[in-house]
Amino acid sequence: MMRLLKLARKHTAEIAVAGLLSVTLPIAPAQAEDISAKSWDDIVVEARGGTVNWFMWGGADNINQYVSSWIGDELAVRYDITLNRVGINDTAEAVNIVLGEKQAGVDTGGAVDMIWINGGNFRTMKQGGLVFCGYVDKLPNNVLINWKDQSIANDFGLAVDGCEVPWNRAQFAFAYDESRTPNPPKSIAALIDWVKTNPGEFTYPAATDFNGSVFIRHVFYHAAGGPDQLLGDFDKTVFNAVAPKAWKILNDMKPHLWREGSTYPTSITNLQQLFSNQEVALYFNYDPAIFGINVEKGVFPTSTRSYGLEDGTIGNTNYVAIPYNSPNKAAAMVTANLLASFKAQYEKAKPDVWGAAPAIDVAKLPAGQQGQFEALPRNISVVSPQELAKKALPELHPDWIKAIEKGWQENVAE
Amino acid sequence: MPDRWRIALLLAPAVLVIAGLFMGGLVLGFARSLNYMPLIGLNDVNLEAYVAILSSSGFYRSLLLSTYISFISTAISCVLAVGAALILRRTFIGKPIVNFLFQVNLTVPHLVGAIGILYLFSQSGFFARLAYEFDLIARPADFPAMVFDPLAIGIILQYVWKEVPFIGIILLANMQTFSKDYEAAARSLGAGRWQSFRFVLLPLILPGLLSASMIVFAFTFGAYEIPALLGQNFPSALPVLAYDKFTDVDLAARPEAMALAMIITAASALMVYGYVRLARRHVRS
Repeated sequence: MMRLLKLARKHTAEIAVAGLLSVTLPIAPAQAEDISAKSWDDIVVEARGGTVNWFMWGGADNINQYVSSWIGDELAVRYDITLNRVGINDTAEAVNIVLGEKQAGVDTGGAVDMIWINGGNFRTMKQGGLVFCGYVDKLPNNVLINWKDQSIANDFGLAVDGCEVPWNRAQFAFAYDESRTPNPPKSIAALIDWVKTNPGEFTYPAATDFNGSVFIRHVFYHAAGGPDQLLGDFDKTVFNAVAPKAWKILNDMKPHLWREGSTYPTSITNLQQLFSNQEVALYFNYDPAIFGINVEKGVFPTSTRSYGLEDGTIGNTNYVAIPYNSPNKAAAMVTANLLASFKAQYEKAKPDVWGAAPAIDVAKLPAGQQGQFEALPRNISVVSPQELAKKALPELHPDWIKAIEKGWQENVAE
Repeated sequence: MPDRWRIALLLAPAVLVIAGLFMGGLVLGFARSLNYMPLIGLNDVNLEAYVAILSSSGFYRSLLLSTYISFISTAISCVLAVGAALILRRTFIGKPIVNFLFQVNLTVPHLVGAIGILYLFSQSGFFARLAYEFDLIARPADFPAMVFDPLAIGIILQYVWKEVPFIGIILLANMQTFSKDYEAAARSLGAGRWQSFRFVLLPLILPGLLSASMIVFAFTFGAYEIPALLGQNFPSALPVLAYDKFTDVDLAARPEAMALAMIITAASALMVYGYVRLARRHVRS
């Protein structure tokens, strides 16, 4: 025993190095790097017993419930996969985690397996080489997705390129309480006049919020006379021609806003609180289904109604993406496939669950399933998605959005 | 084993955490602020981020706001805490209950307190509804704005509510280390109550008061969640500004976020240094 200790003391350095190495040497990846070369059945087998850490915006209880309970149960029962939903405040937080891991050289054992993502955040991931691509055509439910639709094949003007799977369609709509506000403004032009006759009754979240930013973009479209000259890559001359008109509109509205425009709600949740506390008369959201959910929860009055603008409202698709360094890619792919299945899309289209518009092409489903979608009841507070879709405006390339948000901050907020 | 080795070994865990995690994070943040981010190809070190920040008016307005909030919160908390400590020093009926009530919010997180402030003081909050009940206001906008307002009333209220017991407890502990004989002696020599306080008690508790107020100032200066929940958009407090830049979709804004974080760190370090200098001058052994 004493000889062993003496030996250990003599070779402390070597033992220390050996110990350190055995702990820090990366464990051989459980999955082969060429997962894209495997067949779907092999991927399902490999996914068994796996865990999926899905980082998604956690600001809506009904969505959290749907994901954790319904999706989680389906995954556990059918595929023996454990779903770990991680609620975050801002998708950029998840992107930051993957970014930090890449900078630290963590290329195989990442903390994030899936992110609910679109737009600028997706662009950051694609730009930084942070996203796993090339697996989408392996998913059996990929046949239900209409990749010919430009608004699905392009995420805010950036080609998806097999790097993400569509999950929901969303289209911006306004909401109001018809017992308090019998005649809400139905277009941006009408809104500009409306705030003058109804001071302090309207506000919008700051441009840092997703929904606030899209409202500002509606004003931008109005100032530009339509989105046509704004589509495509960022054009500084066009921006410099249109922006001053948009800032003038917003600055003219400013003194008639809530708190005389001295501050704006930080997030859409704040605006929701203001609306349900009757501090403001109008609310809006990318996801009109939330109006119905809130009425059912008792947060909004039953006299809540919603509408789209006469000139149209912006619509987009949101997706799920798998980071390049996820250690559970097989399980994540199985999850993404489940999300795009008829059962999952139908379940979340139910108005008391979420009421979210499906990202799959309903026309590609068999007749019986199509009928089920059509027969779905709709909460009277939620405007019909088909009606909204008649006047859908496209999203802009993220560089436009960045310029608009920055311009708003400098010209209107300050 | 020789003593030095034993001491080094015992200190090693704490030193590793401080040097590795804290200092490491600080060094990495500093590198990022100098625009050194190999991931997106920023390899040349430059001071662009600092120049951009120090030349933007938004930064100075945020700095002013943060300093204003910290200064007012600390000043009000100190005054109230000294008053509370003087009262709680005495014995009176119900002292245990009052003592407990005084300390109870030490365990309540700041975030919970902020939600409470929102619930009570927003224009559609509890007090506003009471005022509406008594016909004092007709609509939410008539109630004075105490949250999301330019004077940061809600934020200061929250900090004062939380920091008064904190400073008060430190002062009470401090006061227990010296006897009441000094003040008794002063009074017996003809000093008034105010003179006895100003010239005898205050210098004795000043070290503790200074250290506690420095902690409170540095904390309120660098705290994020209260201004984020209760504050205006623009100008926002310095930590909120830093976080907004950090979560900007544009990766190139990261160096500016790190630069802001470095500036906040430098400011806090300056305050600690200032305290050490002040303490040496005022502490009489």
